[in-house]
Amino acid sequence: MIDRIVHMFEIVANEGHGSVAMVLFIGFVFGAIVQWSRVDKFEKIAGFAMLEDMTVPKMLFFAIGLASIGLYFMIELGWAHYHIKPITLGGLIIGGTLFGIAMAIFGKCPGTGPISVAEGRIDVLIGAIGGIFGGLFFTWAYPWLKPIMGPNFGKLTLPSLFEGYESMVVLIYGIALMAVAFLIPNIEYLDPEDREEPAEI
Amino acid sequence: MPKKISWLTGGVLMALLILFAFSIWGADRPIGASTYVPYFASVIFGLDPEHYEYAAEVEKAGAWEGVMLIGAFVGGLFMSVFVTKTFRFSVLPTLWKERKNSSVASRLFWSFAAGFVMIVGARLAGGCTSGHFLSGASQIAVSGLIFGGVVMITLIVTGRLFYKKRG
Repeated sequence: MIDRIVHMFEIVANEGHGSVAMVLFIGFVFGAIVQWSRVDKFEKIAGFAMLEDMTVPKMLFFAIGLASIGLYFMIELGWAHYHIKPITLGGLIIGGTLFGIAMAIFGKCPGTGPISVAEGRIDVLIGAIGGIFGGLFFTWAYPWLKPIMGPNFGKLTLPSLFEGYESMVVLIYGIALMAVAFLIPNIEYLDPEDREEPAEI
Repeated sequence: MPKKISWLTGGVLMALLILFAFSIWGADRPIGASTYVPYFASVIFGLDPEHYEYAAEVEKAGAWEGVMLIGAFVGGLFMSVFVTKTFRFSVLPTLWKERKNSSVASRLFWSFAAGFVMIVGARLAGGCTSGHFLSGASQIAVSGLIFGGVVMITLIVTGRLFYKKRG
């Protein structure tokens, strides 16, 4: 197992998607932003499912809206590239359904889970072990699961459907998402066990 | 340093991080966070990528996300100890006690089961909150928008059916 872990760092070092230090840095900042805004909490994610806390959709919609505009122009300038996931319709609908159910019950997602374990949540550690077994099952069952993931409609972005008006579509999309973020009611569940208070900034 | 940041500050910072990760000065790739789980499973259980098609398929992306998530773990630990001062060992979330039950066994059972189902779901869909929502929807990818819509609906429906009504 040790050699496989060493190999993990070797893969990253040789892959050309940032040095090991760069990838660790991106991860550190990701963990810091998530923990600082407290969106790794059960009360924020499952709380959204119960409509007790709207922090997650507000932050998510705003971040996506702002990033979509920035990213489009960065790609136009050659500062970034598209990395589009294919529309595998069966997988998206079945997988998305399972994911949504699990997210409401677990109150975590794969990115916020490790951050939540880092703040001492034992239940999330148990869920992460469940996730490892889920990953093991999927790896084993992949040959049988593959047929239900299709049909594959290819890699498509919404703006590419409106030829000649791409930048307009991006601007409308980005501004609309940011507006929605403001329009979602500012409901927050302040966890007494964390002595949580409303944010100052 | 403030103990907590608002959704707006968090949203701006997260957008900047997405853009940095995408840029040629960052990683020239999107942030993702579910491929590392089957990758870790194949590392822990010693599954040989030569015999398991999926283990071979996710090796590169899994390794990248594995390293990123190590960074995220340290980032979360650092903030919870020094800035938000929220580090404490706990099993039952406050809202779980209010809206579900006070049973440790129940919470641990549901955590394990939901963790299992979550990863199977994410891998079927080819991404999760990070890959499809943050990175996919930022590129306005149709796949990310479909995933986002399906997840939002099932999340709210499950929240209504699985938990007790307030009061």
